[in-house]
Amino acid sequence: MTSRRGFLAGLLATGLAPQASWADLGCPAYLSAAKQPDGTYTFVGLSAQGTILFRCPLPDRGHAASAHPKRPEVVAFARRPGRFADVIDCRTGNQLARITPTKGHHFYGHGCFSHDGSQLFTTENEYETARGIIGVWDTTDNYRRIGSFASGGIGPHDVLLHQKVGGLVVANGGIQTHPDRGREKLNLDSMQPNLTYLDFDGTVIDQMQLSDDLHQNSIRHLSMHDNGTVGFAMQWQGEPGADVPIVGLHRPGTSPRLLAEDDPRVRNLNGYGGSIQFSADGSTIAVTSPRGGVVQVMDTASGLLQQEHHLADVCGLSTNETGFVASTGAGQLVALNKGKMTVMSKTDLRWDNHLIRLR
Amino acid sequence: MRSTALAFSLILTPFCASADMVDDILDQQILPGMETLASTSTTLARAAKADCRSNSTLMRRAYDDAFDAWMMVSHFRFGPTETDNRAFALSFWPDSRGKIPKALSALVRNQDPVINTPEDFATASIAARGFYAMDYLLYNSEITGASTAEYHCNLFQAITADIANTAQLIHNDWQASYADQLRSPGDRYQTEGEVKQELYKALNTGLQVTADMRLGRPLGTFDKPRPKRAEARRSRRSQRHVALSLQALKPLAIALSVDNVALADKFHLTFAKAHKAVERLDDPIFASVADPADRFRVEALQQLVNDIRAIADTELGPSLGVDPGFNSLDGD
Repeated sequence: MTSRRGFLAGLLATGLAPQASWADLGCPAYLSAAKQPDGTYTFVGLSAQGTILFRCPLPDRGHAASAHPKRPEVVAFARRPGRFADVIDCRTGNQLARITPTKGHHFYGHGCFSHDGSQLFTTENEYETARGIIGVWDTTDNYRRIGSFASGGIGPHDVLLHQKVGGLVVANGGIQTHPDRGREKLNLDSMQPNLTYLDFDGTVIDQMQLSDDLHQNSIRHLSMHDNGTVGFAMQWQGEPGADVPIVGLHRPGTSPRLLAEDDPRVRNLNGYGGSIQFSADGSTIAVTSPRGGVVQVMDTASGLLQQEHHLADVCGLSTNETGFVASTGAGQLVALNKGKMTVMSKTDLRWDNHLIRLR
Repeated sequence: MRSTALAFSLILTPFCASADMVDDILDQQILPGMETLASTSTTLARAAKADCRSNSTLMRRAYDDAFDAWMMVSHFRFGPTETDNRAFALSFWPDSRGKIPKALSALVRNQDPVINTPEDFATASIAARGFYAMDYLLYNSEITGASTAEYHCNLFQAITADIANTAQLIHNDWQASYADQLRSPGDRYQTEGEVKQELYKALNTGLQVTADMRLGRPLGTFDKPRPKRAEARRSRRSQRHVALSLQALKPLAIALSVDNVALADKFHLTFAKAHKAVERLDDPIFASVADPADRFRVEALQQLVNDIRAIADTELGPSLGVDPGFNSLDGD
């Protein structure tokens, strides 16, 4: 068995067996942080059907995770202000290493690997200066810190690899926080979120800012289309009741497109996009809102809102072969396919903000 | 598959609440409320047919009655009101981007024939439909002045007929099927617990809209009050809407507390306080929010509504076994 896994891992690493998946190595199809009924936190691997394959205890609440492109390991990030990121063997759920932020920094809960997997990038707050930082870690040397650069704004949250620009795309949410003040937002009047494209040395390739009237629309979460289009989800920090877009699409060097702007149902999101995800073919993009108890699916070509699913406390979002998969704080995992919602599984765990697909 | 089903059945929270709770809310609040909305909206459409001048007392009175009826049920925002965006078609509010005046001005400027048939008008900008469009048209001289009398008359008749039609569709759906969905869970709602969660959410959302929108939007901040954001201020209904919303939400809160006498008493008390505060206000469009010495009255009222919200959150939710939410409570 081990030799077969080793063989498959080798094939995956060389890209010679694109049909082979992590599941063939005994890895889960999905990953999510969760809160257990006894109040403790855990990181969970799930099968494609939504059954629990492993639980790995976390010392505090988790947030997102990122899968290594070649090795069967994942990094589970603590929720902001994060003090740890755990490297976990995705076959067993065993902890392999713990990464802790540099002094004076905390994690924001997201990160991503370089294409070859040799480096991990983490979003961080250098909180005495409120500078957004991308931390760089050497995964070949037990996740040693090897450098950092500015994220291009305050409050970097989600970060993804952007192969077309040969670097990273960072959602700088714009909100200043300090761990001494908990999760309090310190600069709502002057906040200025952006989407920043960086090369791997930290040089800014492109930067996108929305118009002034949307300066309080914090750009938080990202999804990547194969063609290089970035989908972003926002969280409105301005007055309640403002009619604001929550989902946008952007390609470097062009103007952003805000989706479903004239559809009043966007208000059902309560100004809050929790997770965002392109469909497998990129023809649609979905957004969850736990505050609105709703998942909305938008057409990426027309920009129109296609479907709306009502689901209490929904936040995690991912894809399956035919549609979307979403998770809720009430322990449900549901499949969303062409307007139909099917419960896949229900547990006594509270699924946290993000559902990560491993492929 | 079997293990999934077992897990499912094991974690269903048992509800020991009175089985009559849902029936009471349906029979005392939702169904009669929707019926009144449908009948007053039909009367409004007839009034506009009989006299479509914007200063028509008949039409203005009918508008007030139908809008009152909507305020009594607007918090039941699920099922029939969500179908085909009906709630938005009746009430496009708040309108932070000024879409209502834009949409109405465009219709009037172009003498747009989209108003000629109900089918066409149902495809018009949703901002040009419903009660808040009427608020502009009945009491706003700018839009009134730009229109020919005939077009204006037709526009009134189109909007009111559309309101009547939408209200009737909502009422029909409640009667024909949706009330049964709440009474006998199994399809749209899997359990009685889910039904109660929906009704609890209606209470919470109603309180939130009143505190954050109806009062919070005009209050703005001390340095930047926004009196012009008061709801339906042209027809001077802002304060009235807060009173009506409390009047509508109180019986829902009490009905949901049916198994907890102490909690029901608490709601009686706090709603009475808030109601007294709004009655005493004598500030129909919350103009006082711009007066540094006077705005505390509206702030105090907002606090009283927030006090009711806190009771709903911390006491009613747990007493109903409703999940307070994990992701919704503290997002990231």
